[in-house]
Amino acid sequence: MTEATHTVKSYEQELERLRGMMARMGGLVERQTAQAVKAVVEGDEEAAIEAPDLDPEVDELEREAEALAIRILALRSPMAIDLREIVAALKITGDLERIGDYAASIARRALKLDMDGGISLIGLRSMGRLVQDNLRRAIDALAARDRDQAVAVWQADTAVDELYTAMFRELMTYMMEDPRNIGSCIHLLFVAKNLERIGDHTTNIAERIYYAVTGEMLPSVRPRGGLGHSSSPDAR
Amino acid sequence: MTEAGLALCLLGVSCLSGVAGWIAGGRRLPRRAPFLPVLRRDDAAGREVGLEEMLDFLPDCGLLLTRNGSLRFANTEALAVFGDALGTIVRHPEVFSALQSLNGEIVLATVDVILDVPVRRVVRLVLRLVPEKLSQAGVSVLAILSDRSEQDAVERVRADFVAYASHELRTPLAALIGFIETLRGPAADDPAAQKQFLEIMAAQAGRMQRLIEQLLTLSRVEMTEHRKPRGEVDAARAVARVRDESAPLCSVRGIVLETAAEPLTFQGDEDQVVQVLLNLVENAIKYASTGGRVPVVSLTMAESEVGGKEGVSFTVADNGPGIEARHLPRLTERFYRVEGGRGETAPGYGLGLAIVRHIIDRHDGRLSIESEVGRGTYCTVWLPVRGERRQARERPSLLLE
Repeated sequence: MTEATHTVKSYEQELERLRGMMARMGGLVERQTAQAVKAVVEGDEEAAIEAPDLDPEVDELEREAEALAIRILALRSPMAIDLREIVAALKITGDLERIGDYAASIARRALKLDMDGGISLIGLRSMGRLVQDNLRRAIDALAARDRDQAVAVWQADTAVDELYTAMFRELMTYMMEDPRNIGSCIHLLFVAKNLERIGDHTTNIAERIYYAVTGEMLPSVRPRGGLGHSSSPDAR
Repeated sequence: MTEAGLALCLLGVSCLSGVAGWIAGGRRLPRRAPFLPVLRRDDAAGREVGLEEMLDFLPDCGLLLTRNGSLRFANTEALAVFGDALGTIVRHPEVFSALQSLNGEIVLATVDVILDVPVRRVVRLVLRLVPEKLSQAGVSVLAILSDRSEQDAVERVRADFVAYASHELRTPLAALIGFIETLRGPAADDPAAQKQFLEIMAAQAGRMQRLIEQLLTLSRVEMTEHRKPRGEVDAARAVARVRDESAPLCSVRGIVLETAAEPLTFQGDEDQVVQVLLNLVENAIKYASTGGRVPVVSLTMAESEVGGKEGVSFTVADNGPGIEARHLPRLTERFYRVEGGRGETAPGYGLGLAIVRHIIDRHDGRLSIESEVGRGTYCTVWLPVRGERRQARERPSLLLE
């Protein structure tokens, strides 16, 4: 084996390792988010404990991925799509780590929730589902370097924002109805806010995937999507 | 046959019998198949059979993974059963820890993974270390997947059904009991009141019956949600069926349903697609006739592409009073009802769109509802047309077709 092919091979392996780390981080934060939603909606204590427990592992992976990305940048001077992929990876791992933090914070709040004021959690459940589904599709798009999927995720966040507004209004009504609800409602409001933030970071990931694959940025203003648990087709 | 080829056949056989053993609850993996079938390929003498080709012949879902959990290969069955969910399954943290636990001494691990989105699924993975001489390109683990969603769904749906049925039936039942008591007591000798009460009671009983039917439909839909539809839908026929089945309601309300369809077939469950469109059309008919204008309802279809996938979209449009934007994100929640403008409650139970959503999820489709108060509502159902799906890992299949 000549030296040149050897270099190329280990370079490819390093990129592969970086992708593997991102997939693992993705799997971990997906799990954290799932458990956080479950903790709030179903009052599952075990889930509430598991979500923050996974945090150190996510943080560790973020540091490792960052070190590896910097190493590749320094030693291999990658160009074009490789360079974009590594720069995007640096940012995506940051987004994933933030998502993990939000999920952990939701789960911790779930432990403090005292639900018996007749507050409906159905809205929160569908918001959780939607956020989880977008996250799943973003990480799939990351693994497949799928530009179209990234755009679909990017558009779908509008529905999350709409649900958040609806949740806000609903919780406000509960608080006005009975001041004894205020404690739980404030917790739930933060839960909804954190889910909405997870949605935003998911959108960021989609934007960075798009950039890494195409070399172009998505427009800064998002078109309005329709309702649904996913992007709206070109309706009408 | 070469030595490697023979070894592959052996592995294939031991995998097959081994998997059967685990699923039947057996703990022991036979160290070697009791008898060796002779696999002769005279015409292709000397040709080596790859691990991947072998897996494509398995009736089970098989994956090849690296130790770090990257997916290297999925056989046809795995793609057909799990499709897009494979990525989520493989990167699940518990799968990663199980992969790490496999060393030379532990060669077998079993993990159960629960997925929440897009539909709830329970998947069991049996991971097995691939012997070194068979592994190539970093592949070191064979995973056999089995879908356990059905048992899980049966339990959950039963619990949900009891909870919802008892909750939703309590009110009409209390009303019925009230009327029966009145008929026995104060109204026992009043034929006029009796006639009036019996009419109300019949209407209440009818409501209860329809509610139970809808709950049963919802349960059925939920039970099959994780199973990908394998039938074929003829779009034009489906639209014609919707037109015929909604004809009685249309004539009662004096509405003509305008339909337009083109010949197109795609993979799906035709009865369920008809159910989706029928639910949407019935909603549209009910709302269009309360809009204060000459009601117009239409069902049209068009081919369209979403996220790079070929598909077909059906649009149901009405010129009813419209739905306020704040209700739109929540319409598909079960038992969610939009309060009527003049304090009247909407006619249904809030289950129709929940059924629609579950069916669309099963088909990997999309639902979008757009509405403008005073103008009308557009519901668009987009369903993928399979077969032309871009799938990097998909290989020409020997088993299908």
